[in-house]
Amino acid sequence: MKRLIIIVTSLILLTVSAVQHAGEIDPLEVRPSLVEPRVSLPSNLITVPVVSPGEFFVPPMVDDIPDDKTGDMIRLGRNIFTNTQVYGKRFAGNGLNCTSCHLSEGRQPFAAPLWAAYPIYPVQRNKTKKVVTWEERIQDCFRYSLDGIAPAVDAPEMTALTTYAKWLATGAPVGVSLPGRSFANIKKTKDPSPIDGEIIYKAQCALCHGKNGEGQKNANGIGYMFPPLWGTDSFNRAAGLNKVKTAAQFIKANMPLGAGYTLTDDDALDVAAYMWINFRPDDPRTTFMMNRFAPKPGGGH
Amino acid sequence: MMKESIRLPAILLFAALAGACSKGSNVTDRAPVDPDARSAGERLASNGRDDVTACITCHGEHGEGNAEAGYPRLAGLHPDYITKQLQDYRRDPLQVGVHIEPIARDYSKTPRFYNDLTIYTPGTRNDPVMNGIAGQLTETEIHNLAVYYGSLPFEATPVPGDFQSLEYGMELAMRGKPEYMVPRCDSCHGPKGEGFGPHFPPLAGQPVNYLISQISKWQNGQRDNDHLSMMKNTANQLTDGDKINVAKYYANQSFSVNQ
Repeated sequence: MKRLIIIVTSLILLTVSAVQHAGEIDPLEVRPSLVEPRVSLPSNLITVPVVSPGEFFVPPMVDDIPDDKTGDMIRLGRNIFTNTQVYGKRFAGNGLNCTSCHLSEGRQPFAAPLWAAYPIYPVQRNKTKKVVTWEERIQDCFRYSLDGIAPAVDAPEMTALTTYAKWLATGAPVGVSLPGRSFANIKKTKDPSPIDGEIIYKAQCALCHGKNGEGQKNANGIGYMFPPLWGTDSFNRAAGLNKVKTAAQFIKANMPLGAGYTLTDDDALDVAAYMWINFRPDDPRTTFMMNRFAPKPGGGH
Repeated sequence: MMKESIRLPAILLFAALAGACSKGSNVTDRAPVDPDARSAGERLASNGRDDVTACITCHGEHGEGNAEAGYPRLAGLHPDYITKQLQDYRRDPLQVGVHIEPIARDYSKTPRFYNDLTIYTPGTRNDPVMNGIAGQLTETEIHNLAVYYGSLPFEATPVPGDFQSLEYGMELAMRGKPEYMVPRCDSCHGPKGEGFGPHFPPLAGQPVNYLISQISKWQNGQRDNDHLSMMKNTANQLTDGDKINVAKYYANQSFSVNQ
């Protein structure tokens, strides 16, 4: 009997505390503004996941760059990274910048952030089945994603980019796969259809990336405001984003810009499949004729 | 020498290759200004009409806006942007029910996809003054006003701000809030917030109060006329401090258009 009373009272206490907890407004759970939200039907159908503070690693601010030669190198690396068409022009073969994919200057989680990538290397890559260093990884970026020439390991551009990545990863644990590393996880429920992808592309993506995926150039003519998704000025057949699955993982978390996670996993795969069936520069790892007649890489999903 | 039989196919092949190699188009180029529409728009803007207040009473003599009252500048905005905003003002924001079109027809409206069903919500902007004025305008008048204000020159006077606001505003404008998945402002609104194309209006050279009130309106649903809710979702992640900082940063920029 005594035990029963104890159990009942503890249950009551638990429910009371739970109700009190639910009644409190957690400032981190509600939208971070004091403005009174108004119900408007169509927009509320689209939801964005609440990112809890502390979920992702926060790299240092640009104002914290030290005032010495290391700082100068970090600034040069940041310039190359954000404005590859000017500072890294001699190695870039197409119209893209590093920030075309590594959004927010390489800081955006699930857009291959540098702060999560740098502490991982050297590591075995699935692509080559070899252990590659950070410098070799950057060389692959230039060769495939920028469709250009690999800078030498001791080139000033390489030193600058490495210093910038190391600075972004200041305080990050070494060898740990941090949350937000590389791209988001998706799961398909059907095979991707480039026909559905074209409908979604024309309706949602074409406003910025152009009807034919040609992107939109900056007003000054240097580089792209909205990067080309295929065509001669885009990444080539050997790039990571050429793979339908990888492109879909990028699209899922980051596109439409500012409204990530609004496409379903299957829609993201459809758009990626539509990107994949369009023309893009050849795979430099193989020959001209193989590029014409062999199956294109990256179609698996 | 090339044989006659293969010359034509070869020329066609080279033409196709040249076409495939053409690089991305530049949409920031605007249509040439129609002088008749411009002068008609100028007359309406400065004199008004029966029930239509003259635009210059709030938006300034040359469309430069009013910094104290938070009325936006119109000079140098993209004509298509002005047209769309006036059309959205004209729409009744409290209209009940959603118009469903089974076939995708007008992509300039905001499309939202639910597998087999596409719902287009016509954009709306709620403003007690502008809803009344825009409701009186005809399509031609909207076009004339857009052409007139789109052709006006503008040079911003940078507004000084405190160091901390400008610093954090620049952080938001150039890098966003990556840990909250918020993109940087400049990634859509153009380098230095100068605006890009008809869909992304300039932020530089707009009054502080206007930018703050607009982000607030995005947040509470009084403004809902963007593509794919991009701005709505972004605004929902901004704090009141973010609004002030970023508005002060953009008001601090030097900026000129049509000069």
